[in-house]
Amino acid sequence: MAKTYDYLFKLLLIGDSGVGKTCLLFRFSEDAFNSTFISTIGIDFKIRTIELDGKKIKLQIWDTAGQERFRTITTAYYRGAMGIMLVYDITSEKSFENIRNWIRNIEEHASKDVEKMILANKCDMNDRRQVSKERGENLAVEHGIKFMETSAKASINVDEAFFTLARDIKGKMDRKSDATTNAKSGGYQLKKDNAPKKSFWKCSIL
Amino acid sequence: MERWVCPNDRQLALRAKLGTGWSVHTNRMSSFQKAKQLNLDEQEQIMRVMQRAEYLDQSEQERIGRLVEKLDNMKKNCIGNGTTQCVLCGDEFGLLGSSPTFCDDCKKAVCSKCGVDTINSARQPLWLCKICSEHREVWKRSGAWFFKAIPRYVIPEKKTDCAKYQARGRIQTQGSRRVRPGGPSPAWHRGRGSTSTGTASYGESSEQDSSSSSEDEVNFNSKHKNKRGAESESDNISIGSSRSSHLYGTHNLADSKTSITSGNYGGAGQLSATESSRGDDYHDETDSEKSSLSGFSRDGSTRSHGVGGVAGSTRYDDEHDNIDVAINQYNKHQEDDEIVSSPDSDSGTSLGCLEFSLLYDSVNNALYCTIVRARGLKAMDSNGLSDPYVKLHLLPGANKSTKLRTKTIHKTLNPEWNETLTYYGITEEDIVKKTLRLSVLDEDHFGFDFIGETRVPLKKLKPHQTKAFNVYLEKTFPLEKDDDLIAIRGKILLSLRYATSRQSLIVRIIRCAELASMDSNGYSDPYVKVYLKPDKDKKSKYKTSVKKRTLNPEFNEEFVYEIKHNELPKKTLEVTVWDKDIGKANDFIGGVQIGINAKGERLRHWFNALKNPDREFRQWHVLSAELTPEVYT
Repeated sequence: MAKTYDYLFKLLLIGDSGVGKTCLLFRFSEDAFNSTFISTIGIDFKIRTIELDGKKIKLQIWDTAGQERFRTITTAYYRGAMGIMLVYDITSEKSFENIRNWIRNIEEHASKDVEKMILANKCDMNDRRQVSKERGENLAVEHGIKFMETSAKASINVDEAFFTLARDIKGKMDRKSDATTNAKSGGYQLKKDNAPKKSFWKCSIL
Repeated sequence: MERWVCPNDRQLALRAKLGTGWSVHTNRMSSFQKAKQLNLDEQEQIMRVMQRAEYLDQSEQERIGRLVEKLDNMKKNCIGNGTTQCVLCGDEFGLLGSSPTFCDDCKKAVCSKCGVDTINSARQPLWLCKICSEHREVWKRSGAWFFKAIPRYVIPEKKTDCAKYQARGRIQTQGSRRVRPGGPSPAWHRGRGSTSTGTASYGESSEQDSSSSSEDEVNFNSKHKNKRGAESESDNISIGSSRSSHLYGTHNLADSKTSITSGNYGGAGQLSATESSRGDDYHDETDSEKSSLSGFSRDGSTRSHGVGGVAGSTRYDDEHDNIDVAINQYNKHQEDDEIVSSPDSDSGTSLGCLEFSLLYDSVNNALYCTIVRARGLKAMDSNGLSDPYVKLHLLPGANKSTKLRTKTIHKTLNPEWNETLTYYGITEEDIVKKTLRLSVLDEDHFGFDFIGETRVPLKKLKPHQTKAFNVYLEKTFPLEKDDDLIAIRGKILLSLRYATSRQSLIVRIIRCAELASMDSNGYSDPYVKVYLKPDKDKKSKYKTSVKKRTLNPEFNEEFVYEIKHNELPKKTLEVTVWDKDIGKANDFIGGVQIGINAKGERLRHWFNALKNPDREFRQWHVLSAELTPEVYT
């Protein structure tokens, strides 16, 4: 009995190794957390179906390895992604600086319509913080991307982040499908000669 | 050949920024080396993930196929001209008729019944004909809004028809039509900054093919299409045959292997990379297979040129003509066989009659059911027509796994299906025991109406002889109510004991028997879930381990519910059996509810266990497809 859903959204998590991409996904999909670090091999994905505005949305969330040596595999998955989460670790300056590289990676490999979001993970570890919230926000504003501080461990903002991204994608989808058909109707301009007929029929009814 | 592809503008722009050079291949070569660094375990793990993704992708492709098919059906059934008649139902506008409104998308005239009043994303009112509104819906649901073309899909309905009786080439052409390549990679090229992107519609998705720059790419696409197409053509429909999944699986594996070594991880279907990153292996492969491919690659390219939105429907008609011809040939071929008409005139004639033929092939253990047509069906819809389709079941023990159905023919009382549906794995023993039920149903937006049915004991058939039938339909029970035939999904042996010392109810799942098979290999991978309701925290949910590939699993697993004896009467024990599927949702096989509100044996079992603490009671229960509804009331 396959569960039915209205839309399938494909999301992707990218960011340096060890920033907590897998943990975020684990928290979102199973509501669990594991503090032992197991490096992701290549790629993995998890599924969760959520409901937005009465529509069932199946999220297929691709988790990528942050390690450089898997880069070829992981970049192959950029293209199909409708939304991308850029994740950095607030306790690691380096992972934050690399966000720019990740954004460049998206520009090169992902569809240009992709929705993006920056997540500053491990916000429960304030005592070891190296990157202030402001810097994260500034970076996000600079690129016109939404920003959220999250913690997979303390379950802060995880659901919110994924729901926000899904909502943004859905919003884009609704706008796009209108635009598509509007553009199409432009192609039918010649058929405007329907109009007199319309009035004709109206007359005949009266 | 054509390996050195001129990079497109966007790639050039990006490469200029990155300073990685102008050649497409520098990038690929570096990726090629990196891929080599993966060790075997890692490759295996990645392959498993990709396989899982492929499963999901497969069901998604089928889902999109169903959406597309539905829309195609709607388009096909348009009979009006859109000016003086409603474009959908063909109702004349005028003095006596209704006044037309015009669809905001296609600007054609529709009557109020065939239009949908809705709002757009900016909350402005929008009036659409049902086709345009469905088109929008398909556009969204399939993800086409994002990929700018309908993604690759598989038409779920098989239509083995004549395909079997035709040359192989024919299957392939059909296949290539059914599975379209509208993958994201070509769409990407269209996507870059051109104004035409927004206007894409189904027909136009073919543009992508012509826009893809390399010949090899086209070849590759069509090859892929054909492989898959041919499979879905012949296998989708089969039941109890392990062929389809098996073939498919190996095919995937081979695919992904190529991908890994060549550093191209596009094996995961939808996420395929552009031609620029395709590995050498692929090209070699296409080259070596070229001789056999030339036929369909031509087909692929012709298709990719002159087909616009309108041409789509003509193409469809062509296909139909071909099928008719084939069916005629097939029928002629079978003419010397015994043809039996057995109109059953004692039941009311008002339901209509059904023409079909059956052929049992004892060598391949296959039962071919050719549904030809129906005549004078009873009208079920308010417009005086029906949207009939035929559903087949094998009785007894019918369940989802023996269900086959034809396509729906809309708005007619005299439908012509000319479809062959095939049961595989039908043994001589089945022929003696089983009965084929053919029910004619009227498709509705929500569910269906039952028109009539007929049953054929298979022992009437002689092996390798086509037997034609033309029978009047009879009124029997609609499928859903026929629960002793439909709803039985197997049996389960449960043991219940209330242990006073531990203050707990001990539920033991011993074994199941004769479970319905849910997987295409004819088996299930069953596990049992146990749940003591009502239970707010859902803490009482337990499940057993999964037993692989069996319809008679033995579990012998015990679950303990700590609960006071006097609270037990308020509870209901829900035991459900599921088929574990990897990569997609698990199938529900059947369930049983045991409690104070249950009836018969189930109530007795519960009662005995409650009345006699510390004694174990074992009992077989029938698993039903619907959870015994009386408990809910």
